[in-house]
Amino acid sequence: MRYLDKDTIFHWLDPRTKIFLSLACACLIVILDKPMSLLVLFITILFGFILLKPPFSYVKLATYLMAIAFVATIISQGLFYYFEPKTPLVTILPAEFGLLGRITGGIYLYKEGLIYGAVQSMRLFSAMLLGMIIVMTTYPSELILGLNRLGVSERVGFMLTVSIRFLPALVEEAKRILIAQRLRGLRLKGISGAFKGFCFLLLPLIIDSLRSARRIALAAEVRAFSGKRTSVKSLKFSLLDWVTFVITSLIIILAIKYRFNL
Amino acid sequence: MIKIENFTYSYPNSKIPALKDINLKIQDGEFILIIGSTGSGKSTLLYCLNGLIPHTFGGELSGEVLINGFSPKDKPIREISKIIGTVFQNPDSQIFMLKAEDDVAFGCENLLLPKEEIIERRDSALREIGLSHLRDNETFKLSGGQKQRLAISSIYAMGPSIFLFDEPTTDLDQKGRQDFLKILRKLKTKGNTIILVEHQYEEFLSLADKVVILEEGKVNDASLNKLNQMAIEKVQRVLPCLDNIIDLQGIYFEYEKEKPVLRDVNLKIKKGELVAVLGDNGSGKTTLFKILLGLLRQKQGKVTVFNLINPSLEDLIGKVGFLFQNPDEQLFANSVKEEIAFGPKQLRRKVDLDKYLNLAKFHFFKARHPQTLSRGQRQLLALVSILAMEPEIIILDEPTTGLDYKNWYNLLEILNKLATQGKTVIFSTHNMKAKEFATRLLWLDQGRIITDEILR
Repeated sequence: MRYLDKDTIFHWLDPRTKIFLSLACACLIVILDKPMSLLVLFITILFGFILLKPPFSYVKLATYLMAIAFVATIISQGLFYYFEPKTPLVTILPAEFGLLGRITGGIYLYKEGLIYGAVQSMRLFSAMLLGMIIVMTTYPSELILGLNRLGVSERVGFMLTVSIRFLPALVEEAKRILIAQRLRGLRLKGISGAFKGFCFLLLPLIIDSLRSARRIALAAEVRAFSGKRTSVKSLKFSLLDWVTFVITSLIIILAIKYRFNL
Repeated sequence: MIKIENFTYSYPNSKIPALKDINLKIQDGEFILIIGSTGSGKSTLLYCLNGLIPHTFGGELSGEVLINGFSPKDKPIREISKIIGTVFQNPDSQIFMLKAEDDVAFGCENLLLPKEEIIERRDSALREIGLSHLRDNETFKLSGGQKQRLAISSIYAMGPSIFLFDEPTTDLDQKGRQDFLKILRKLKTKGNTIILVEHQYEEFLSLADKVVILEEGKVNDASLNKLNQMAIEKVQRVLPCLDNIIDLQGIYFEYEKEKPVLRDVNLKIKKGELVAVLGDNGSGKTTLFKILLGLLRQKQGKVTVFNLINPSLEDLIGKVGFLFQNPDEQLFANSVKEEIAFGPKQLRRKVDLDKYLNLAKFHFFKARHPQTLSRGQRQLLALVSILAMEPEIIILDEPTTGLDYKNWYNLLEILNKLATQGKTVIFSTHNMKAKEFATRLLWLDQGRIITDEILR
């Protein structure tokens, strides 16, 4: 999942607006409690996702993640739903069944639990999709600049940039180490083998990362990095940002009003 | 002007000074080439100029370093960086931003320059160093040479008049080195002072106004002739016997559709040959090795190694050894001894430890942790650990990168010894001197073998 170089309405938004949007989404997820309103929130965000026309691999990833979240939430809620009333749909283990049945009080799949699980997963999907939209439409350095403008320190921003920048190199290096292990005849069998292989991978990876961290620090230093900086990029709150800001705020206020009957 | 007088420096917790009684005068606009083996204090000398010593490293210093009349120890590094720019060896660890042009602006932003001036300096640096066409590219997708040029642009944008280069061409191929040479020429004609530390210095001799040879922290007055004597003597060789051990027929490979990396490669290698493979980055050397090893499967053609047709990696373990460029990616064990025994142990073979310790002259530190050895020794250890598995074929991907002449000579001597014992050795390199060692030279260009020359 990476930045997409396109020209959509989301790309025009200021990173600060996007940070605000994700906070707003987090609030709405908590405030809204009716299945219908959560569905509307999810569909709105899904609509935005489709509007971006992401590459097929991203759609696949999103569907895959949502499917896992959906199945996991529905099953866990169906099994462990504890509110009354509840209607058992399927009996997995009757309460009269031996010791296990008496201890657990029977294991059933509840209808209300399944519905509750479906509603819960709407919340998860909304947050997940919005996160993906933001990652796909915001250049990392701009997101960090946005965070800076909102008061997060330069050093934290620099740390974030550098880690994003060096992640692909780290993955490549891990791949080479794994090949080197195979070439030395290392074969991984079972859980203990996997654990051992992981240790053999971690050691060179950490040592090499420390070495390059030192090199990076020296290079940053001779380029006058000290935590205080000016920026060649500037952020500007456009009309679109203001409109988004106002509409989103209104939605939140309305949601609070109806939820708590103010 | 740079003036160094009776300068001595020791790193913290070290009794032996890294630099001893250095006296050196460098005029404005001069090009100084500094050479010497690893550990001779070349990088340390640069750190003393750009302020990393004493500000970052600490340590004890005596004598004087003066740059345009001020001493680096009296100014913070950020002030010094306006006058002295430093480009390091590894292009990867000096790039901080995701987009090329953002990285060029990075230094200027740290100098708290106003936005308009940063943009002006950024654009002019990109133009001068010849990177304008790559300004929107993602930095981690650039080639090694492009990354190094980006690092130079970023320093250039900060507007220094003295440029320090710490082994800048180590990771570059022939084309990258040529580009770098052009940039150096340009910087010099503009009147900048340039101090260059290099192992492979031949190409830069014509540009240099002065050559400084450092030996164990001292400036050596000996002439360059002495250095040339270090050049490798030719070695007597037995003629290779006649069995084909590797046979490639019509190999074609592409990672992406319609973008061939190897096209119609035909190659027969005999037992006991010592083959040097040359070619720029992206010419297909590493891909060719991966196909030989069974790590990649060719799209067309036939690979025969020993008598196996299209073998997989698992078929070749213990019979073919492969050495990566970076030794640190292949050292896993807790001591030198264990490292050498690692491979044979996995294959349930016995190993004659002493033989391999002798080969690399590692007896002294057989109990030490591999990661505490020097870079050259780690490279040697990685090689010996692979040899301990007694492979018939040894493939090395740029084994000579970053080694000084002593370690380089050591490594090639071992390879030569192996070949005379009837092992087959194939290695890729950017160093033209490898020619003096190899029995056969292959030149790859855009996925084709354009030269195949039997040297002896």
